[in-house]
Amino acid sequence: MVRRTLAAFLIGAFVALGVCGTSARAAQAPPTIKIGTLYASAGSFAAISMPVHKALLLWEEQVNAQGGIYVKAYGKKIPIKIIAYDDQSSTSTAATLYNQLITQDKVDILVSDSGSVLTSVAVPIAREHQMLLFDQTGTGMNFFTSDNRYIVLLSDPISNLWPKNVAEFLVKDGPKLGIKRVAMLYSTNDFTGSQATGFRDFLKGSSIDVVYDHGVPTNTSSYTVLIQTIKALNPDAVIELGYPNNDISFLRDLQGSGTKFKMVFTVYPGLETDLLLKTVGEKGLAYTYTYTPPTVIKYKPDYGMDLDTFKAAWIKKYKDTTDFGFNAVAGYVTALVLEKTLATSESMDQMALRKAVFGLSGKLRTLDGTFMLRGDGAQIGELTPLGQIVPSGNGEVKFVILYPPEAANGKAVYPAP
Amino acid sequence: MLEYSLLAGILFGLYFGLVALGLNLIFGVMKIVNLAHGDFLMLGGYGAYIVFTDFHVNPLITLLVEIVIFVLIGFPLYYLLVPRLQASRDPEMLSLILFFGLSQVIEALATLRFGSSERSIPGTVLGDGPISLFQQTFPVAWVVSGAISLLAVGAIYIYLYRTRIGQLTRAVMAQREEALSTGIDVQRISAIAFGIGIAGAAVAGVLSPFMMGSITPSMGVGITITSFAVIVIGSLGNPLGTVAGGIIYGVALMFMQTYFSSWANLLPYLLLIAILLVKPTGLFGRRMRNA
Repeated sequence: MVRRTLAAFLIGAFVALGVCGTSARAAQAPPTIKIGTLYASAGSFAAISMPVHKALLLWEEQVNAQGGIYVKAYGKKIPIKIIAYDDQSSTSTAATLYNQLITQDKVDILVSDSGSVLTSVAVPIAREHQMLLFDQTGTGMNFFTSDNRYIVLLSDPISNLWPKNVAEFLVKDGPKLGIKRVAMLYSTNDFTGSQATGFRDFLKGSSIDVVYDHGVPTNTSSYTVLIQTIKALNPDAVIELGYPNNDISFLRDLQGSGTKFKMVFTVYPGLETDLLLKTVGEKGLAYTYTYTPPTVIKYKPDYGMDLDTFKAAWIKKYKDTTDFGFNAVAGYVTALVLEKTLATSESMDQMALRKAVFGLSGKLRTLDGTFMLRGDGAQIGELTPLGQIVPSGNGEVKFVILYPPEAANGKAVYPAP
Repeated sequence: MLEYSLLAGILFGLYFGLVALGLNLIFGVMKIVNLAHGDFLMLGGYGAYIVFTDFHVNPLITLLVEIVIFVLIGFPLYYLLVPRLQASRDPEMLSLILFFGLSQVIEALATLRFGSSERSIPGTVLGDGPISLFQQTFPVAWVVSGAISLLAVGAIYIYLYRTRIGQLTRAVMAQREEALSTGIDVQRISAIAFGIGIAGAAVAGVLSPFMMGSITPSMGVGITITSFAVIVIGSLGNPLGTVAGGIIYGVALMFMQTYFSSWANLLPYLLLIAILLVKPTGLFGRRMRNA
């Protein structure tokens, strides 16, 4: 009898302790997980910022409809609240607002605005406040140093890695095609400036001769004279690295001036194909080279929606107000990484979050490919192959993947017709 | 390359003369700075884009319709804003603030309506293939835009120097108070000039997808800054000096792109500083004062 009473007491005590423990843990849980971020509704970077931001809002709506996301640190599902301010593409406004998110709103998680320019001001601020910066698409190579533990790049590879496949294609396949002289024109910002640096580094020691290597301001809207300057040097390939506005103007001026180069590479026909089709047209994009987007590769994700499902959800919510493209995917990848991080992090401490993000490296495969981090927080996965756009004749375009060889599904049409 | 840069600069400069023409006309007549000038240009661009994509109407036809629409918009807008401004102690300074606010409102509404992505009209709409000019080839859109700019400048010249209203407009530009005392209906003349000014911006806007590659709701601020540099070069208040200012800006920009491409965006500010230091009244300042 005594033994049974003692056993019942012990079981009761354990249950009570367990309940109390759970209650105490649940009591500490906040009503929402606050995610602070910025977006640019206007200005030079609105086009790349709004799709990323809208993808985060779509995710917020979806997860909150299911009661929130599982947060391991509190052992329960908690709704998320995105606190977002409009920086209007201004770095000075962004700096003030990043500070506000940290010091006034006291957000649990800090997510930078899209693109390297608006991320550049967040890097020192996050470091100073010892907040881990969830960097969405700010890929500038100088953001990542071994002594800064407060940044992780989520949705794009670091900029100087982007042209790896382009440069390797030129070095390995170029001589067979007769490519010896290359011209490079780039916009002078962290994103494309770093790509230009990477491109130069990849070409070092090769037989490729860079005959033109010049930067232009990011707000450049007229390329006709620059195209003529390059044409006078008779290059075998032209690499133009710019933001959407640059690529649109460059490709339109190329078409308008009647100039033909044997090979033209630009960044955004691959990343924002719908936008470039609307602004440049099928003819202007024909046979240009670009980064092959995840929309073509269609990675099979281990986590989150696949591309078709995500695109359908996007179109249902945003219809024609915001083009679906790579930046929409990038915003959704940010959301997936945040979701996984909170589901695995032991606490909400910033270093615990960092450990959890790094724990995903090489293991998380989304619709954007495999998530993989370098020790300094730079993204080295999610690298896009080199592709060539082939007109389909019905106003749409097709992509042929050219490099690396293991991903290739066709051969380059060189020189372009 | 020298010849190409020069010719390209003249064509591009003619377009920027057109871009800045309306801003200078409004300043010349009302002595107010319309900081929403670039936003009216942006609206003109979106007007052409929508009419083209939805109804397949050639932008050159839209251009004519937009002239009428924007003149009509300019009238009530003038009576709503400008007389109150001019009744204040410092209309020039207050105009900066008021039109800056208007610029922000237009940009925000345009973003809500059109989204933030770039939009454009196919370059082939104005004609196929490049055009050869002095043995150099240029996009057809540049040549068409240059020609329209010349026509617009000619029309402004005829308006100012060959019409009765133009004569009265010049009287207001020369000395507003004296014009008022001689019985000229200064408000009506100013309202007409205001309407023509923003219609000029709209015309430049229709051509902007071809000259700048694409349009976005946020393009207005940059356009206004460049326009301001152009009219300071040509002389504030002298609409015809604007064309010279535009050509100087265009040629200088093309030479900068050819030889010092990374520094090209400094150009409007360098020209602005240089002109203010060397000839603060602008290149055509004296002629304007004697008009």
